[in-house]
This record gives sequence, C-alpha cells and structure tokens, in this order.
Amino acid sequence: MTTQVTTPPPAATPPPTATPARGRRPRRSGMEPSLGGKIARYVVLALAAVVTIFPFYAMVVLSLKPAAAIEFPASLLPTNLGTGAYERVLSAGGIGTWFVNTLIYSAVSVVAVLGLSAMAGYAFAKKRFPGRETMFWSFLAMVMVPYHVTLIPTFILIAQAGGLDTYWGLILPTLANAQAVFLMRQFIMDLPDELFEAAKLDGASEWRIFCSIVLPLCKPILATLGTFVFLWHWNDFLWPLIIGQGTEHWTLTVGISSLQQQDVPLNMILAGATISFVPIFAAYLVAQRYFQEGVTMSGIKG
Amino acid sequence: MTTTTPTAPRAGASAGGRPPAGRAGVLRRTMARREARIGLLFALPAFLLFLTFRFGPAIAGVGLSFFDYTIGAGAEWTGLDNFRRLVVDPVFWSALRVTIVLSILIVPVQLAISTLMALLVRRAFRGSRFFRSVFFLPVVTSLVLAATIFTWVFSTGGPWSTLMGLLGLPTGSWLGSTVLVLPALALVAIWSRFGYGMLILLARMQDLPRELEEAAAIDGANGWQRFRHIIVPQLRPTLFFLAVIETTASFQIFDLVYMMTGGGPARASYNLVYEIYNQGFKYFDLGYASALGVVLFVLTLVVALVQRSVIGKEK
Repeated sequence: MTTQVTTPPPAATPPPTATPARGRRPRRSGMEPSLGGKIARYVVLALAAVVTIFPFYAMVVLSLKPAAAIEFPASLLPTNLGTGAYERVLSAGGIGTWFVNTLIYSAVSVVAVLGLSAMAGYAFAKKRFPGRETMFWSFLAMVMVPYHVTLIPTFILIAQAGGLDTYWGLILPTLANAQAVFLMRQFIMDLPDELFEAAKLDGASEWRIFCSIVLPLCKPILATLGTFVFLWHWNDFLWPLIIGQGTEHWTLTVGISSLQQQDVPLNMILAGATISFVPIFAAYLVAQRYFQEGVTMSGIKG
Repeated sequence: MTTTTPTAPRAGASAGGRPPAGRAGVLRRTMARREARIGLLFALPAFLLFLTFRFGPAIAGVGLSFFDYTIGAGAEWTGLDNFRRLVVDPVFWSALRVTIVLSILIVPVQLAISTLMALLVRRAFRGSRFFRSVFFLPVVTSLVLAATIFTWVFSTGGPWSTLMGLLGLPTGSWLGSTVLVLPALALVAIWSRFGYGMLILLARMQDLPRELEEAAAIDGANGWQRFRHIIVPQLRPTLFFLAVIETTASFQIFDLVYMMTGGGPARASYNLVYEIYNQGFKYFDLGYASALGVVLFVLTLVVALVQRSVIGKEK
C-alpha cells in the first residue's frame, strides 16, 4: 500500500522526464519534486478529491431531480433540475421540527458544555481543594470507557426518570463531557496566575473573575471546543434514536434514517440530507480552522 | 518568574515573601479555605453530571451484566448466565468476527491513505489548502448522510457496480453480497475518516526537522528511501496512536450498519455494537446487552493497554 507514495502510477509519470530530473534537482534544493513528480502529485490528489467530493455532488444533484429521472449514470448530469423534492419533503412535515430539534440539541449542549467545562477546568487548574486529584483522574479514566458500555444504564436512568421523548432527556446525559473538562484545564493552566491575583486584590468576586477574566482569555479554546461539541451533536445518531420514541423529538439524523427505511423516494431523502448538511457545510466554509482544530484536538485526547 | 534563590523558603510566592506568622498566617488559611470552597463549587456541576451519566452508568453497565433485567419487570441476579449464554451463541461469535474483520479491513488501508495524502499536501503549493479542506470535509459530515448517499452508490446499477462492470468484474450490489458487504462498509468508513488521520499526521510532519531529509537527499537518497528510513521512523508514535484510535472507532461502527445493511445479508455485517443495540433496544434484554457491552469494553481495553505500553516505551 505504502509503495504508492513514491511510485505513482506509471501512466501519470512518464519515466523519461522523471529520471533526469531526479539527478539534477538534489543539487539545488534537495527535496523539490521533479516536474514529473509534481504532475503525479496533482493527478493523485485530483483523483482523491474527485472521489471525496463525488458523494456530495451526487447528493445535491440527485436531490434536484424529479423522482422518475434517477437512473445512473444519466442522472448525474446537472440538467432538468428542480426543487420539487425539497417542496415535497418540506410539506410532508417532520423535517422542520427535526431541524429545530437538532438546533436545540446542538446549541443548548454547546452553551452548557462550554460553561460547565470552563468552570471545572478553572477549578482544576487554579484552585486547591480536597479531592481535586481524585475527581480529575476519574474524569480522565472515563475517557477510555466506550460509549456503548454506558449507553444502556444511561438509557434506563433516563427512562425511569421519565426522560424519553423530552429535550432534557436528550440533552442532559450528553453534557457529561470529560474531554472538554480536560482541554479547558490544560488551557487555563497555561494562563499566568498574576491575572487572577490582581483582580482578587481589587476585591473582585470569584464569579466576576471567572466571567470577566477567565472566559475572555479562553476565547480561542472555547471557539474550538464549541465547534467540536456542536458538530458532534449535530451529527449524533444513536442517542437521539434511542431517546426519541415518537417523531416529535427526533433530530435530523434520526428523521433522515426513518425516511430511508420507509421507502421514501431517493430524491426526497437526499433533499432532506442536503438540508441537514447545509448548515454544517456553511459553517465549515467560514470557520474551517476551528473545525480542523476541534476535531484533531479532541481526537488526540482520546 | 523572579528567581530569588536565597530567600524563597515556601512555594506561596504569590502571597508575597513574608513569613506566615500571626495574622498573615490566619489570613492565608482563611483564604485557602475560601479557595477550596470556590474550587469545589466550580468543579461540582460538571462532576455531578459526570458521576450521574458516565461514572455511575459505567459501573452499572458492568453490574447489570450479571442480571436478567427488563424495564418494568425488574432485575434478577443470574450470575454469569449472560456470559454463558453469550459464549454458546453463534450470533455473538459471528458479531465478534464481523467487528474484528471490519477493523482489519479499515485500519491499515485508512492509515496508508492518510499517510499518502499527508505526504502529498504537507508542503505549501498551489492548491494544497484546497485539497486539505476537501479531504477533511467527510470528517465533519454525519455518517447518516454518508450512509444515505453510499447506499445509492453501492446499489445495483449504481456508480460502484457500473465501475466494477467497466473493470470486467461482477456488477452485483456489494451490499447484497455476504462476502463484499464488509469491504463496502469499510470503503465508506475509510472515506469518512481518512482526512482525520491526514490532519494529525500533517501536524506531526510540520514539526519534523527538515535537515535530516535534506541531508539524506544530498547523500542521494531517493523519495522512497527518505520516506522509509527518515519520515516513517519519526512518525511511528503518531501512526501508532492513530492505529489505536481508528481501531477503537471501527469497533464502534453503528450508523453505517444500521442505515446501509441492517446487519445483513445473512448477518454478514452484523457487528457487536449492532447486536448490543438489538438486544438492548429491540428485545429490551438489557442485562444481556450489558454483558455484550462488557465484552466490547474488554476488547477496547486490550487495544488501549497495548497503546499504553508502546507509548510508554517511546518516552
């Protein structure tokens, strides 16, 4: 597999240009790829980009086709487009509710997780209190426990408490986010103590220090973490699927999966999928850096 | 950071260098108590949530695996019965096999693609940022959406079967084949995750010193030799970390199975997580589902322990 790295497909790299170039180049910069190498690189990358984008393209184009026209491969040409599928999926109801539910699920979670984890992170980083280490390490240890182990007891707990088909039942368990606390602690630990001490000497209350000094300083990490939490909730599937027994509290992912299982015409399902994708895509275009940081950072921490 | 070496007897430098005698000492103790109370108050909300929804359930999950439990009917201690039942259940063994085969199909190929793409875009050139953005897009896309569109991609007469036809291969739907359904799911999983590994590897590659590679190039090492003997050894910890993360992720694939195959055909794509879901939320056999969860946990733990020992060796 890895051999592809330096031996690109022969079709892409004509050997005659590659061989002399390799001999000449090292003297100048050592590692600049030869012309053939550059072409090969573009060919491989372009191919990978096409494969990556194709499903998105197909989703959008097919969602704009009349149901009868979905025959491959003619269906992929961007002709004969219309918004009929969107009108039908929107008028069928459901999707508007699911959209709002997803928004509530994601937005409330972001605000709550950021607030709670910033508070806890501040305490773990800058305060000494009994049980601090035990608490912190129990947070960390749980990062290792897979989601599916806690899923069933959490479900029983929520079901017994009457939380099925409610917003709080959907949201509350997902606010226990050990990674977020860990990341906040790491970030706040690096902030100099002097900043807080000065305010304390001026007689500011702890809550004021937290709100007007800690939170503003944490903006970069809050943005990154917030993006990640939002994305995670927007795309979450299993938990909303289990909690939402009726359709009123479904999120977009659950709603779309139900469309697929009910033999709804493909263009309508894909119209729904596109609607669910647009906000994430728009946010990705605007705030790509936060997406990339958020996902890689959270991943690194387990 | 003023290092007043001779007169720094205690660590509480922030309170001023005065000795803690008399009123100052009392004040400091009062302050410390206040600090402790505030620290506890700030940490408590997150910690209580965590106790209720992570720590408690994790312990309950293990405990529940020794019970026969159905909501409404209550719990009955059955000892190891759930595990005995699991060991003799061919569905369990088949689900375990599917889980492991899936991760074997996914992880090596995905890591290779992540590495290749990271190598290709690691230096800035015209379009390098565009390619990075494109490759990362599937990572932020929901698996439900990916599953929706890939169900069509793999359908009979769809793009994939047409491509197979052009290559002179059988054109039947991969999702309908007991042999090819796992490779099909693996392809979707790889599509949706390779950009993540690429980004992690890129971050690491940017920290590597260029000099080593340049020196090797001057000594006449070609691209492959530089990759094999200079880049790979330096990336080994990162690659290993990714291998663990991705193995764990592949153990937990649910959305794709639920949406694309329902575990079929003939249980050929029925993995452990899907069995947990079915037992727990379709048959409401929550004790047995918890026992399955414990098995998944052990499987994950083994991978994590291997990770720890290897990373420990690196440091």
